[in-house]
Amino acid sequence: MPQANATPVPDWQRLELSALSAPAVIFTFAMIAFPVVYTVLLGFQSFSSTGKQSFVGIANYSKLLADNEFWHGLWVTIALYVLSLVLQLVLGVWLALVLFHAKRLHGLVRSLFISPFMMPPVVAGMMWLVILDPSLGAANYILQSMGLPPSDWLASPSLVIPTIALVDTWQWTPYVALIVLGGLQSLPPSVYEAAQIDGASPFKTFQRITLPLLLPTIVTATILRSVDLLRFFDIIYITTQGGPGNASNTLNIYGFRVGFEFFNIGYASALMLTLTAIVFGAVLAFNRLRVVVAW
Amino acid sequence: MIAKAPVAHVAISLLAAGTLSQAHAADFDWKKFQGKTITFLANSNPVSLALLTQKADFEKLTGMTLKIDSYQEQQMRQRLVTVMNAHSDEADVFMTLPSREGEQFAAAGWYADLTPLTKDVAGNYDFAGLSQALLKAGTFNGKLTSMPMNIEGPILYYRTDILKKCGVEVPKTIRDVEAAAKKLKACDSSITPFVSRGLKPAVAYTFSNMLHNIGGTYMANGKSNLCSTKGKEALETYSGLLRDYGPPGVVNYSFPQISALYRSGRSALSFESSNELRTVMEGGERLKDTGLAPFPAGEAGQVPTAIGWGLTISAYSKQQEAAWYFVQWATSPEIQKRMALQGIAPPRPAVANDPEYRKWIDEQPVRKEWQAALDVLATKGSSEVGYPIVANPQSREFIGQAVQDLILKQKTVDQACADADKALDALIAQK
Repeated sequence: MPQANATPVPDWQRLELSALSAPAVIFTFAMIAFPVVYTVLLGFQSFSSTGKQSFVGIANYSKLLADNEFWHGLWVTIALYVLSLVLQLVLGVWLALVLFHAKRLHGLVRSLFISPFMMPPVVAGMMWLVILDPSLGAANYILQSMGLPPSDWLASPSLVIPTIALVDTWQWTPYVALIVLGGLQSLPPSVYEAAQIDGASPFKTFQRITLPLLLPTIVTATILRSVDLLRFFDIIYITTQGGPGNASNTLNIYGFRVGFEFFNIGYASALMLTLTAIVFGAVLAFNRLRVVVAW
Repeated sequence: MIAKAPVAHVAISLLAAGTLSQAHAADFDWKKFQGKTITFLANSNPVSLALLTQKADFEKLTGMTLKIDSYQEQQMRQRLVTVMNAHSDEADVFMTLPSREGEQFAAAGWYADLTPLTKDVAGNYDFAGLSQALLKAGTFNGKLTSMPMNIEGPILYYRTDILKKCGVEVPKTIRDVEAAAKKLKACDSSITPFVSRGLKPAVAYTFSNMLHNIGGTYMANGKSNLCSTKGKEALETYSGLLRDYGPPGVVNYSFPQISALYRSGRSALSFESSNELRTVMEGGERLKDTGLAPFPAGEAGQVPTAIGWGLTISAYSKQQEAAWYFVQWATSPEIQKRMALQGIAPPRPAVANDPEYRKWIDEQPVRKEWQAALDVLATKGSSEVGYPIVANPQSREFIGQAVQDLILKQKTVDQACADADKALDALIAQK
């Protein structure tokens, strides 16, 4: 509500407020800007194996375009992103609906449902590494006890991406569900009452009312998961380190190895800035979508 | 021979320093840097864990405070790269693997030159008693860069009971290993006949032993040599053993998985680091049914991989002399004996004759075999793990890739070695 009687702040007081808050603002800005600017500068440098540095202009970016490992990493990143995101959105919406309608569900059970995403990804990675071990893990034991053939899971070049996507989905579906649940709880009940009076079936109600009204919330969840998934690192690093071969070598893993294992900080910076641009692009695109689906 | 580029004068100067220091034994002032704090960037492996059980002894002896900054191996290197690239003095002392990063770190100027510091030692330090080969392995361009903490290398852990049940003799040659694995597979399908490292960056550690035993070399005439007859034979033999007789998912296997598999009783022949003895024997289940030996001979005999972790001082440390006191204490005969009693193979041959250590060895037959295998490592070992170039860590990736391509049947041996040689030649050409 506009405050018609609000006393205008005198100029000297504005100046004083600005001066007092300036150090914190400058510090915060510097903390954000410095690493970015420094990484941009590093992206124009070449580092030899012994750490010797030289200015190379845009050579790192030209190299990137001709680097098969970069294009492979981009493909792996996108494949993992699409697969994980679709699974998490579908299962997240389903889980949110279950939690929304199961009013009598005990608080402890609700907490258990959403507990995976509270686990540090490194711990989740270690846990799944043990479970999915083809020789000693519980996953193959369960498959075999049901008469099914064992799987190589993370050790198979063709299965490693779906397997990592499943692990990430196990961890982050509850997070998506929690966001969607918040959206469900804020939907106006009058719309549902009208649908009920008109005799709409539960499926039609979901299809024509719930889903369209939930879209802004789902897009928000998509943005949050997109940022994480495009720079997905921890679970892959713990479970496969980009292997077998380079089958799960995402851009982030590749950039990390180039920088910290092979000490080519310049090229790694170029890789990471390219990945950052991709993440920004995705966020901007989804932000526009959010405006379109807003109600 | 462990060292690739022996530098005789370093060894001589070290001997001289040892002799000189003995004359000053009584005068040595361990409290010279009392009150200072030394920061130690450690790899949280069995070697540092054993050393740090003695931390209180160091602090009491010197009056200094030892601040520990400990991480798993890869994380430690990441921290180190950040600290050293920033020319920071945050770490005074750090652990290093000369066989892996020695050339690279030395060329980058990250190691302090320990040669002048070695003149300031306690009388009982006994420089001559340290493995001269390991000292040479830590010497680059005439500068001593690290002091050896241990000696280690891959050895064969085998199950005596399973071999006996299946009528298999302990392998004497690489061909025997293949035959034994085949027989074991037919005899007991619940057991993994053979396991070794299959994880890409970890492969070089064990594969190098196979390559050298077969008679292959990583480089010839300044070029990568994996497509030589011996190189291809080593690639095919190593990957064939893992593909046909290894556990499912072996391409993700490094030491934790191998030790877990062997300790659980699920593998018959396991080729893994001598450092893993303690882990493998945890719980005592494998004590009675395990035999140990260096990896069986190939056409070139036995050329086991023998490396050691070293302690070094950062070139950017502002208290290198005080840091040297820690390095000196940690690599002294008494501390290395105490570490040996915790299963860390000492880089001082004399420790093997120490009565207390002998008693520890004699307590269990498996320890005797462990010591015998280490003796072979110490006398015949090669520290060449991956390519002897500055970009050694990256070279290990391409070796691992070639092995994985063959395990997963993604390429023929000719394709795998050619692709690896092409990438490695480019790496060798880099300055």
